[in-house]
Amino acid sequence: MQRIATIPCEPAAPMLHRFRSDDGEHLLVIPYSRLFDLSPELARILDRGGAECDDLVRALAQPAIGEDPLDDVVAPQPQSISLNVSSSCNLSCSYCYAARGGFEGAQNEPMKWETARAAIDALLARADATAPITVGFLGGEPFVNRALLHACVQYAHTEGAHRGLDVRFSVTTNGTLLRPEDIALIRARRFAVTISIDGGAQVHNRQRPSPGKRDSFAQLRQAVAPLLAEPGLAQIAARATVTRHDFDLSRRFNDIVAVGFSEVGFAPLRMDKGRGDALREQDWPAYLEALQGLARSELARARSGAAIRLSNLAIALKQIARGASSPYPCGAGGGYFSVAADGRWYACHRAIGTRDFEMGDSLGLDGERRRAFLKRRHVHAQDACRTCWARYLCSGACHQEAAARSEPACDFIRSWLEFCLGAYCELSAHLEAKVL
Amino acid sequence: MSKLDQPKLIPRNAPALRKAREKNPQPHLVAGNPISTRLESGIGNCFPGLECDLRNLERRFFPFLEMDMPDVEISLFQVDIDGAMAARKAGKITQATLDAYWTLHKETGWIVETMSGTFGPLGHLTLTMASLKTTSTGPGRQPPDPWTAVRLLTEGTDVRLVLQMKSAPTAKKVTITAQRARYLGDDGALAAMFLPGELTQSLCSPWTHDFRDCACFYWASNHPDIALPPLPSKHTTDPVWNFAVPWERSDRTIGKRPPAKATVEYADELDYYQINGVWQSLNFVLERREQRGPYVQRGFAGKELDSKAELETHLRYAAGVELAVLQEYLTAAYSLKPEADLSGRIGDDVRAAYAEIMRIAIGEMRHLRAVNDVLAAIVGRPQYTPALGVATALPGAKPGQWWRVVPNPLTAGALQRFIDIEAPSESVDGVYARILATLNQQQTDLEKKDENIQAIRTVMAEGEDHYRTFRDIQEWLKPYLHDETKYLRRRNLTLPPQGNKANQVLQQHYRTLLDLLYKGYKAGMPNGAENLNQARNLMIAKKADKTEKLESIADAAKAVADNGFLVSFVTPPGPHFKPVNPPDPKFKLSAAT
Repeated sequence: MQRIATIPCEPAAPMLHRFRSDDGEHLLVIPYSRLFDLSPELARILDRGGAECDDLVRALAQPAIGEDPLDDVVAPQPQSISLNVSSSCNLSCSYCYAARGGFEGAQNEPMKWETARAAIDALLARADATAPITVGFLGGEPFVNRALLHACVQYAHTEGAHRGLDVRFSVTTNGTLLRPEDIALIRARRFAVTISIDGGAQVHNRQRPSPGKRDSFAQLRQAVAPLLAEPGLAQIAARATVTRHDFDLSRRFNDIVAVGFSEVGFAPLRMDKGRGDALREQDWPAYLEALQGLARSELARARSGAAIRLSNLAIALKQIARGASSPYPCGAGGGYFSVAADGRWYACHRAIGTRDFEMGDSLGLDGERRRAFLKRRHVHAQDACRTCWARYLCSGACHQEAAARSEPACDFIRSWLEFCLGAYCELSAHLEAKVL
Repeated sequence: MSKLDQPKLIPRNAPALRKAREKNPQPHLVAGNPISTRLESGIGNCFPGLECDLRNLERRFFPFLEMDMPDVEISLFQVDIDGAMAARKAGKITQATLDAYWTLHKETGWIVETMSGTFGPLGHLTLTMASLKTTSTGPGRQPPDPWTAVRLLTEGTDVRLVLQMKSAPTAKKVTITAQRARYLGDDGALAAMFLPGELTQSLCSPWTHDFRDCACFYWASNHPDIALPPLPSKHTTDPVWNFAVPWERSDRTIGKRPPAKATVEYADELDYYQINGVWQSLNFVLERREQRGPYVQRGFAGKELDSKAELETHLRYAAGVELAVLQEYLTAAYSLKPEADLSGRIGDDVRAAYAEIMRIAIGEMRHLRAVNDVLAAIVGRPQYTPALGVATALPGAKPGQWWRVVPNPLTAGALQRFIDIEAPSESVDGVYARILATLNQQQTDLEKKDENIQAIRTVMAEGEDHYRTFRDIQEWLKPYLHDETKYLRRRNLTLPPQGNKANQVLQQHYRTLLDLLYKGYKAGMPNGAENLNQARNLMIAKKADKTEKLESIADAAKAVADNGFLVSFVTPPGPHFKPVNPPDPKFKLSAAT
């Protein structure tokens, strides 16, 4: 991987974060997210400070074999792309970032086959052949342009097989338009499917209305049922958008699970284009409490061996276990790009039409633009983030939501992360004790 | 001890574990001999060594003296005079000894004339270095060369050296005595006297000179040890072409006569740099002979068997063959005159013949086991019953020809029969060729399939070795084969009579042995290990000196042979050891010869 710049860490930034759980006192070494139990002896050393403490912290913060320096800005080969195949949608959700797929004029038409094929070719040619490659579908509602979607999957799969590549697929869909042939396709290929469902019928229909006031929840439930019953090779997850109007996460969670989902994730609305649905500063504590409450009930189930169905929690625990530590919140502009209908490559699917996020096209990426983008978005370059203890876990959060950053929102993130860290320590100790 | 050991840090996730396992976060170079020189690891040999030249362990056998031991000399390289002076200061050596060190230190060119000391199992000797050139055999033998002499010295015992000036052998000599140095320190590591890098200062340089010179059979595939010359035509049968020639000879032409035979001091060989430049003139060596034309692999593939049941039958027969031939070979071995009754050249030849036949017989025992393992794998463990029934007849040299299994002394005829039995493409090899062809076709579990194939191939390859060895034995015994009394215990050896006690014990032990093998094979590994260990013990346990009791089959067989009879093995009754006929439907025991 090519290092294109270095952005040093703030010298005054904390290297350690102490927290407690029912399992005792713990220490997070912030670089590389190393988690240790904090013995009283170690606590004393840290409290005393001085040379002994500094030496220890320095040793812990050094990269081990296989760990990359966190100061580095790297520009890997694109490993996954999303294709914005559709420019429209059959629903009209109030909070849609894509303005139903048209991106307020940036995407007037659906994508054509030549454009999609060129993007897939570019991806397969450049990606690291030893790692999985992902082709995703977004919009608007991707299945509005199902002909293209099917053709792309067929093409990418065949081409990938020829070259011995591990090609996978993803799609984010409202689920209402799924036909049997779509379900067959999803089952037959390694698809990661995200179905947007906000809760039970009432909440869902309110937030995600169908034209003509049809019951979009019922439509969704009916269309998705066969896929949930028999997912084949696909992984199906539900994604619920939370506005400030309703924090009864547990009820919504249960309603979604009742439809047949085994993975449910919540995303709080941060940008609302002035409609007033996004969470405000004063909303965060209530949201935190709701999310933690739901997480606790999932943790109780997990202690007796059941799977954790709340994606926010499950993913956090997995990332803590493997020690996720990155100066970037996602692969935008790095290993991930989103292709607009006109063939332009953007750093992110939420930024179609935004000049600052435009990175090139299927013939090539603009190295200078990429470099500028990645330098700008590195967590060491963010004023508010560079001294935060969660800087390699949150990593600055979604680029598109940076404008909505506020201290209470960051407090929420830190509190939620600390909750997950504690939950991880408690759960892993509990499960280990059971095994032993 | 890394920084992270104190205070104790208990890792709770993957990156914490990675850090905690780091022994030394900042690795730094450690001076000393590389880890490959640790004697419990690494490929250290004396020829001259791939990771560690073990010869270098002897260079400091005498305190404060560093020696070189090329070939037939021990020459003094240098004196650690500072060490000697410090030892004097500490009262560890006398002034006279220090003076001797000084004398040695002041001039160069000292070599060891004589060495007195305790040479391990050879006992206390005084050796003159220049006389250590003879082969080393028999009681009263001396070490064959100075390095071996030093190697034999017992650590911590007194060694007295008399050193002389190589250039002035009659000038004043130096006599010095000290205790032979230890190899290891008290901590079990190499003694501190070995300086960093010393053990690896002389190693093989495989990719250059060593390729030419390596004489320890290391280069199994790309440097032949023995090569027969290329034949001038494929019809050549003149035996002069069957003597080994140097594969690295300078003259690469092949005329009407073969190149001169390989001897120790061959006149004209490609030298080191030269060989790198003309490597393409080196011939491929296949079947031990240099080849210059297109090579077609000799050999034959057996015809596959038709069914799993047929495969089983053939494996059981193969096992029976192994048991049959090993019995015949043991009988033959025990028919030879014992070592004590012979001397001189014939004694050497007969001793060698006995040793090699025993080696082959033991090889057949391993084959018996290998075939049973393959049988168990094919049939499956619960259903498997051990194949320990002796074959009633062996396949002869031609198809349709069968040989009875009879105990015979090692007459010329018997020896020829052994050669014919083991001949490649014939007889026993033919049985295995069909089994191998069938295994190759199997569609079963690949790992097991490969194991089975390799086992059978090993048996066949060892058969080839047996064939060559019996031919060698025929060569060694050629001068005596016309007169049995020269090399066999007596003329017309026969089986022992009914009442012979030693034979009764032998047959009892043999029966017990077969029972143990049956149990052990049936149980498989590891459950059957105890049975097999007992079986081994029963075969070879030596009897206690003062007793008359014949503890083992070896004891009993020797006793029967000493009584003047043929050693034989009677098949016990019962279903487990029922003899097996050859699987050929046309076989008739009456037709076997």
